[in-house]
Amino acid sequence: MRRKAQATGVDMRLGPRPGEIIDRSRGLTFTWDGDTYPAYRGDTITSALAAAGVRVMSRSFKYHRPRGVMTTSYLDPGCLVQVGDEPNVRASHRMVEPGMSARPQNAWPSLRYDVKSANGALAPFLSAGFYYKTFMRPKRLWPAYERVLRGFSPGGAVSPEAAHDYYDKRYAHPDVVVAGGGPAGMAAAVAAAAAGAAVMLVEGEPELGGHLRWGAAPELAALGDLRRAVAATGGIEVLTDSVVTGRYDGNWVAVVQRSAPGVVERLIKARAGVLVAAPGLIERPYVFSGNDIPGVMLSTGARRLINLWAVKPGERAVVLTANSSGDAAVCDLADAGVDVLKIVDARSGEDVVRAKGGRTLRAVECADGTTVECDLLVTAVGWTAPTSLLNMAGDRPVYNERAARFFPGGGHDDVLATGGIAGDGSLEQLIDHGSAVGRAAARRAHEVSATTEIPSLPVEAHPALFKARTHGFVDFSEDVSSKELEEAVAEGYDSIELAKRYTTATMGPAQGKLESVNAVAVVAAATGATIAATGTTVWRPPYSPVTLGALAGRSFEPVRYSPMQPWHEAHGAKPLVAGQWIRPDHYGDPAAEVRSVRSGVGLIDVTPLGKFDLRGPDVPKLLNQLYINKWSKLALGSVRYGVMCAEDGVVLDDGVTGRLGDDHYLMTATSSGAETVWEWIESWLQTEHPEWRVHVARVTSDFASINIAGPRARDLLSLVVDDVALGPEEFPYMRVRSGSIAGIDGSFMWRIGFTGELSYEIHVPASYGLGVWETLLERGADLGVKPFGVEAQRILRLEKGHLIVGQDTDGLTRAYGAGLDWAVKLDKEDFAGKPELGWQEGRDDFLRLVGLRPLEGTAVPAEGSQIVEAGIIVGRITSSRMSPTLGRSICMGFVAPHLAEPGSAISIVAPDGSRVPAVVTPQLAQVDPKGERLHG
Amino acid sequence: MILIPCPHCGERNVSEFQYVGEALTRPNPDGVDPEQWRSYLYLRSNPAGPTVESWFHRAGCRRYLKVERDTVTNEVTSVTLPGRGGPQP
Amino acid sequence: MKPVKNGARRMGRYSAFDLARHGVARNGWPRAWHNHDLRRAYDVVVVGGGVHGLATAYYLAARHGISNVAVLEKGYIGSGGSGRNTAIIRSNYLTPEGVRFYDRSLKLYESLSTELNFNVMFSQRGHLTLAHNDSSLRTMRWRAEVNKLEGIDSEVISTAQVKELVPYLDTSSEARYPVLGALYHPPGGIIRHDAVVWGYARAADSRGVHIHQNTEVLGIDVAGGAVRGVATSGGKVATPVVVNATAGWATLISDMAGVAMPITTSPLQAAVTEPVRPFLGPVIVSGSLHVYLSQTDRGELVFGSAVDPFPSYSMRGSLDFIESLAGHVLELMPSLAKMRVLRQWAGLCDMTPDYSPIMGQTPVEGFLVDVGWGTYGFKAGPVAGEAMAQLIAEGKTPELIAGFSLDRFMRGELLGEKGAAAVGH
Repeated sequence: MRRKAQATGVDMRLGPRPGEIIDRSRGLTFTWDGDTYPAYRGDTITSALAAAGVRVMSRSFKYHRPRGVMTTSYLDPGCLVQVGDEPNVRASHRMVEPGMSARPQNAWPSLRYDVKSANGALAPFLSAGFYYKTFMRPKRLWPAYERVLRGFSPGGAVSPEAAHDYYDKRYAHPDVVVAGGGPAGMAAAVAAAAAGAAVMLVEGEPELGGHLRWGAAPELAALGDLRRAVAATGGIEVLTDSVVTGRYDGNWVAVVQRSAPGVVERLIKARAGVLVAAPGLIERPYVFSGNDIPGVMLSTGARRLINLWAVKPGERAVVLTANSSGDAAVCDLADAGVDVLKIVDARSGEDVVRAKGGRTLRAVECADGTTVECDLLVTAVGWTAPTSLLNMAGDRPVYNERAARFFPGGGHDDVLATGGIAGDGSLEQLIDHGSAVGRAAARRAHEVSATTEIPSLPVEAHPALFKARTHGFVDFSEDVSSKELEEAVAEGYDSIELAKRYTTATMGPAQGKLESVNAVAVVAAATGATIAATGTTVWRPPYSPVTLGALAGRSFEPVRYSPMQPWHEAHGAKPLVAGQWIRPDHYGDPAAEVRSVRSGVGLIDVTPLGKFDLRGPDVPKLLNQLYINKWSKLALGSVRYGVMCAEDGVVLDDGVTGRLGDDHYLMTATSSGAETVWEWIESWLQTEHPEWRVHVARVTSDFASINIAGPRARDLLSLVVDDVALGPEEFPYMRVRSGSIAGIDGSFMWRIGFTGELSYEIHVPASYGLGVWETLLERGADLGVKPFGVEAQRILRLEKGHLIVGQDTDGLTRAYGAGLDWAVKLDKEDFAGKPELGWQEGRDDFLRLVGLRPLEGTAVPAEGSQIVEAGIIVGRITSSRMSPTLGRSICMGFVAPHLAEPGSAISIVAPDGSRVPAVVTPQLAQVDPKGERLHG
Repeated sequence: MILIPCPHCGERNVSEFQYVGEALTRPNPDGVDPEQWRSYLYLRSNPAGPTVESWFHRAGCRRYLKVERDTVTNEVTSVTLPGRGGPQP
Repeated sequence: MKPVKNGARRMGRYSAFDLARHGVARNGWPRAWHNHDLRRAYDVVVVGGGVHGLATAYYLAARHGISNVAVLEKGYIGSGGSGRNTAIIRSNYLTPEGVRFYDRSLKLYESLSTELNFNVMFSQRGHLTLAHNDSSLRTMRWRAEVNKLEGIDSEVISTAQVKELVPYLDTSSEARYPVLGALYHPPGGIIRHDAVVWGYARAADSRGVHIHQNTEVLGIDVAGGAVRGVATSGGKVATPVVVNATAGWATLISDMAGVAMPITTSPLQAAVTEPVRPFLGPVIVSGSLHVYLSQTDRGELVFGSAVDPFPSYSMRGSLDFIESLAGHVLELMPSLAKMRVLRQWAGLCDMTPDYSPIMGQTPVEGFLVDVGWGTYGFKAGPVAGEAMAQLIAEGKTPELIAGFSLDRFMRGELLGEKGAAAVGH
């Protein structure tokens, strides 16, 4: 039977507070660890639980120590929970919703009794980097050790069934982005907008106000004024529960809206004129023994709990204070009816030594020797300046000893800082500073002046308090103590980066915002260096964790279809993903498709072929430059096959080009190479030969392209063409004609033969593609016309011995290696790759592409199979298929030069390890090597 | 995301452009020796600092551009039309 | 080269027993390595305190008795590519030469914990390269066949087998990039990259090697076609042998010796999520989607992509990288949408024209290079160190790295890994 995890019946909820954000008129319930709890609208998960007296929110990573609320903010390190299928939810930030189901992470079998808390007793043995020092022998047991280690990995769980909900993105072009909606940020936004700037004001909490929200009456009054000013000033877009997660080159600013209507999260990409960083200050935990026991809280955490959610954080308190935040906490605690038993004032040298307790705080031992029994210890020892956004702009923060915190290094025109990270001062001074920065930002965004003077804020003295005389946790999410950091330094990991990496301090979900400066201080003390010399860790983006969903947004993976796609789909085409294109692989039986092409006539949709319209008097020069073969004398109406090589002589692409008019040509390229070829053409025209008069237009999608192939191809074409003479003499092989096809003017056709059959490739204006395709099938029904797909085309071309660039060549295949000796014309003045091909000619140290025929006609060695000789790899199969025409298997492949002679016997190793003996064929073509069918 | 001021299109996101390579001069293929040619194909100055490069405004005017950029800061200091640089190998 | 011994010292042993002893006694561990004054002369100066440089120094001392060696590191050890990569280890390369080389590295990695007495946590949970189209399936078959002939455990497996290994993968045929199969390489996996650096550093230090952190090389003194010494931020050092074992700065260091390089430098970015409970065993790579990902023993998802689209020495990271990466991860595993990215970072990669490294001698006598490692340098750390040490000690290029010589570019004999290595993690 299930044990009730937490006692309720405790009510820590206070009476109404002036600044509370809960709506007492709207009660709701949610479940925590299976039990039902009450809450108000406006409660976070932890504020609702704290109101019900729950103190333990999670177990820690390594030692499974109980952890509770500490900061009551997004950064609360002990308050990561699972909500439904969402892991690592920040329970001190996430608002409860009716029916929400939240569960603790990292605890087994329960939060109250966690068996792994036995690790706590092992702490001396689980010191930093302990796993580097053990589990090495015996080697075979490491996988078992590893499984145990993995079992300790912290965090929630993802479910394979979790839905990819709706995420969204947006572009914005604000003049000024203000990161942080506290008093200085609000003032900056108002001033910038008043100066005419379009402003985006981004605040991580659910509403504007920063620390004013949990302040006393004067702060609340100022908050009201500022909020009214923001609302009354035009040109400010306010985004709450949103965070600036990164600042990238060019002031490209990423903003994540964590809650927005209709979307889980939205990523806004803002090209900001000026970014104003106003993140405020983060209160720093203090390092001492027991500093993680539930009941030890930061002053801001306690004040937020009391003033925002009207929850009493404890009954009897000790307060360690070094600043006004601690002093204010004393007032708030007293006001909330907490018995403040002792105030330890660090400014007069007082200190705490350790906190004692188990699942909750029991007592605090002070430096004056007293021990005070209590259930709450509030600390206010100083601040961390979250300079992340400035770091991302290249800023190196500078340590200020007087204030005991880092300040921005400064010196950026497009990234400014205001508020607490820029200095101290009264509320009035902060607002004045924010206003000045806002005005400067507006001017800089409009490039009125890049050198606007900004007043500086005062810097108040603050005692340098990082660690008491006992050791405690520095990183709460990673369970790293100051002792471990000291040990790391002693072991030689004596720079902050090495110590950090060795102990994993600052690597956890709080991203160093709570623990970074303490880690620096501890390492500095251990090495004897100053904090300034030890340096800070580099804060990397994102500023705050972002879901993969928000970063991905909606999936925009484009797909291209030909105009004939509806027909293909309706006729059972199996789709083939070919780059961006989806094409019919076959319509059920590729072998039958091959036979119908060889015996009758077939149609294939070749729309994805790259097509370029070339015009101008210098096109022949261009063709000569691009192709390895000769082009100067291409007669009007003729078509030629060409091969392109890159400057290193490696085969780049192939295709045909036909001359349609005196200065008008159409070029085709492979569908996968079309983009590359287009840019290759432009680069020659724009950079090497700008004097050539050539215009290039890509017309790939302007035309639908159909290849009509088979002995009856002419018969079929004649049914749809009547203004072009199709006879073998009038329209011979390798010629192009333009005219009307199925009544569609502006079409053209060329007679070429990738399949090895009499064939015509027709190009009709794309919008008529489907109609022409259907007309051909309809009128050709009596001829037995059948569609064929890519698979049949691959078989047909393999039978004919036509290579596919990229399949039968690779990234190192130069023209001679691909058997293209006949095409290379080294006597041309120039062409791409000429020098390398000149040096390759006559060499015999490269693999050659040959036709191959397995002796056993039923054996089809898979493409990629290796050819071996005496245990050495001497080649590979690049293409292989069962040939329906020959009724046997055929291949193409690379072999070492000594095996390239026709008749050479080779041995192929099939993937199952068996040997397939084969012989090199006289030529690449295995069907109709003389080309009689082509010329028919 | 850095901006490249295209002389035809104005300031545009770098994602619209394709980096082509260091701006080089293609040797005359006639009489070039292997070392000269392969130096052109493969050797790069690859400086940490200012450099002159060829870029292609793929999602814009589709013109090749000569771009002066600092490889440490990614700051673009000049964008002009290409001279006779030769296509990139 | 004649072995010269430095004053070696015993390093404190690491074992479960010692861990318990230290835990009970609560006394400290000895330093893993020490700081030294820069000597005026060393037999060998290694530039770069990453896994390549430290492994070279370690094998020089451990295998060849050459311990008067300085490793110069301008930051802290492992601060470059060694600490910024995604720590994927595999040997299922495309060419027989590549397979042999990386398999030697994998074997060294397998015994590295015991050899160095430092647990490098090599997690051999397998490596899957997904095929989303027939041409990548063909290349995988090619790789598998070469691998098997070289004795490597590597096989093309079906979509159903892939789904069994990785239940979170979307293997439906409706996926934009359907999974048609995968190249499965069981010995592949991930490792604690920092541990490899520290393990080599500690073992090299104990054998007398001097590791100088925060010591930047400012110039290389070459006279009469041979190396004479190195100018550093800590002073001048005389040496007859300088090894350029840097990544990201290979061109700049080689420039100091007057050796031109076929290299461009580009950032390679990576990112890590918050930890979640273990759900992913093998490393997943998708070439079509330009993504590779793995789950660490700590539960974080670590992922990366191809190098940035233009060369740069900036390591600031970009938003478009992480956007497209996240999109591609979710194309593969749509149910991970609620996982949060915690950090993104970048390292520098020295890219060569044929996606293969440049190792060995140069026209300047005594100036040796171990550079141009692109995105796969970490995998090769041990074997590169071993081979470079052998080259220095014996004065002769080991057969295993003969193909990686600098002069292959001038001979026009590039290597064939380009096809498979574009995003070949």
